[in-house]
Amino acid sequence: MSGMFVEVAPPTLPASNVAPAAAGGRGRTARRVARRLGRGVVPYLYLIPALGMLIVWTYRPLVETANYSFYSWNLSPTQPATPVGWHNYHRLFTLPELGGSVWRTLLMILGLLPFTIVIPVVVGLLSREVRGRARSIYQALIFLPFLVAPVASAAVWQWLLSPRSGAVNRATGSSVNWFHERWPALIAITGITGWHVLGFAVVVVAAGLASINGDYAEAASVDGASRWQITRWLTLPLLSPTLVFLVLSTALLFAPQWTFPLIDTLTQGGPVNATTNVYYLLWEYGIQSFDAGLASAAGVVFFIGFGLVAAVLLWISERVTIHDN
Amino acid sequence: MSRITVENVTRRYGDVRAVDGVGLDVAHGDFLVLLGPSGCGKSTLLRMIAGLIPPSEGRVLVDGNDVTETPARDRDLAMVFQSYALYPHLTVERNIGFPLRARKTRKADIRRRVTEVADILDLGALLSRRPRELSGGQRQRVALGRALVRDPGAFLMDEPLSNLDAQLRTATRTEITELHRRLGRTFVYVTHDQVEAMTMATSVAVLNRGRLEQIGTPTEVYDTPASAFVAGFMGSPPMNLLDAEIVTRDGRLHAVAAGVDAPLGLGHLGKPGEPGEQAQRPAILGVRPEHLSLRPVADGDPAPEAGGSGGGATLHGLVRTVENLGSEEIAHCRVGSAEVAVRARRPAGFTVGESVVLTVRPEHTHLFDRESGRRLVWQPDRDASVPAARVPVAT
Repeated sequence: MSGMFVEVAPPTLPASNVAPAAAGGRGRTARRVARRLGRGVVPYLYLIPALGMLIVWTYRPLVETANYSFYSWNLSPTQPATPVGWHNYHRLFTLPELGGSVWRTLLMILGLLPFTIVIPVVVGLLSREVRGRARSIYQALIFLPFLVAPVASAAVWQWLLSPRSGAVNRATGSSVNWFHERWPALIAITGITGWHVLGFAVVVVAAGLASINGDYAEAASVDGASRWQITRWLTLPLLSPTLVFLVLSTALLFAPQWTFPLIDTLTQGGPVNATTNVYYLLWEYGIQSFDAGLASAAGVVFFIGFGLVAAVLLWISERVTIHDN
Repeated sequence: MSRITVENVTRRYGDVRAVDGVGLDVAHGDFLVLLGPSGCGKSTLLRMIAGLIPPSEGRVLVDGNDVTETPARDRDLAMVFQSYALYPHLTVERNIGFPLRARKTRKADIRRRVTEVADILDLGALLSRRPRELSGGQRQRVALGRALVRDPGAFLMDEPLSNLDAQLRTATRTEITELHRRLGRTFVYVTHDQVEAMTMATSVAVLNRGRLEQIGTPTEVYDTPASAFVAGFMGSPPMNLLDAEIVTRDGRLHAVAAGVDAPLGLGHLGKPGEPGEQAQRPAILGVRPEHLSLRPVADGDPAPEAGGSGGGATLHGLVRTVENLGSEEIAHCRVGSAEVAVRARRPAGFTVGESVVLTVRPEHTHLFDRESGRRLVWQPDRDASVPAARVPVAT
């Protein structure tokens, strides 16, 4: 008997299902397009309020700042702004204040890192041993300074650091005039800011620690690792995204911005500019000297500078941090 | 050498007893599977053996030494976690070498051991990768490698296959069994998958609500389940369990229910007509789906109420659905108010909507107490002068 093998064909759709749908009339097509367009617009309608706020309060002022940096103007509505080209930038880079304020901002960042990284990590690791309600109370106590208004805490610290009757000098037996000597003033401003943000940083670190899967520490302890080895080899590396976030916040937020109310109430940037950081300099140029052009030029320079710092830090963080998957 | 003994261990969380007075003795080289549904306390028990959770009561012993207070790191056990818990920032090589690094082993020795283990598990090409660059199966093998690298006394595994797809799970099951055979170490393995328990274990401990229901070889646990819970947990589909009454009829014991009459093939109870001491007893009748055979109702069949014909038990039912498993078919029938599954080789000739008679041999019926759920076994009365239908609770 002769024959042949025939391959079983893969399944195909029946012809009637494959046939294209019959085209409707022109009016129907137009309605369909309109409906599709209507559907496409809806998501953007939801975005309008948020985008509107961003444009009105962030991007428009940014563009205006860039614009004013090329004018000379004393902020008076009756006075016209006169175009001066790059003159404001030229002045900014020839005046000695800029370099000094950048340097002091850097010192503040370095001085704040113990408060935003070292102490929170130590406190976070130790407070993991505290269980239940006691832990919440403990964290609430640490967080409390963060809720004190900066001006109020400035008043309290002014009193604590008073040269003759202050508790600090009496306890240490020193006679430092904290807010009227160059280095002590810088240290005081940095220290009080650190005291302020410490609670916040502790809470951030605690949240970071809580988000690390407990299986790692358990696996490591069965693997024979000591508590210190687990901290060094697992917990700290896995905490790195949180730590990078805190470094970023310290550099961009705490040191330049959150020091401002303290500087303004305690030292007004003095003595001899010893506590003038970039933000305070900006404020001096714009609001105290009524030099809108120079302040705008400084604003643009700091905007670009901080943008670069943020970009570099984010780039580094992408390289060094480990995201728990 | 590692023999693991758990003595009357209890773990309480508030008022809840996650593990309740469990005792186990795992001999050296045994493969013990802790089996049970989620929430039965099997993982908690394993974690107490590992030293990750302290027991509220009881003791844990390794080779006769009380390790209840010993920290996990000093117990000489290795554990594979359900999540694998691979350290995400370390390469495969560093992950596997971690236990040796923690024990301050020399770098050259770590490298040599890691290479050996990687060869066993076929991970050689992946040593420089990080966990997130691995597939599920590869991660699972790295977790095994980390357990193997330091040659521990015993291996503890917490549902290590539950994150793998079905095909990989079957393959890895075989690999772990092979590994156990080759290493000759003690394995304690937690799973909710009875197929894993049946195929891998040398002994199975079935847990329910923190209590030990039964411990025995897979064959014992499957063939003679010690409780209705075990019977209803093992097998796919599991044993059919029907509420029934044990009655004496013509001096013999029958388990009867709506549409069911099962002669139990158990001794005489005195002379015919003389009622037994215990005329009726509520029970649960159990029959495995594969022990039921099916035929359509014939004209000569007695009515469902009239009782069984011949020596076997009969169940009168209606076929409701039929599942085709490829090699076998499973028919779900309604018998009285109960659902009964029947399993047979294909083609079994089940037709949906058909009235059928299911038969089973007496030795394939199981009885459980309706209150306690424990297995009932027949104990022939030694004293023949006192005929009594006593169905004592055993085990």
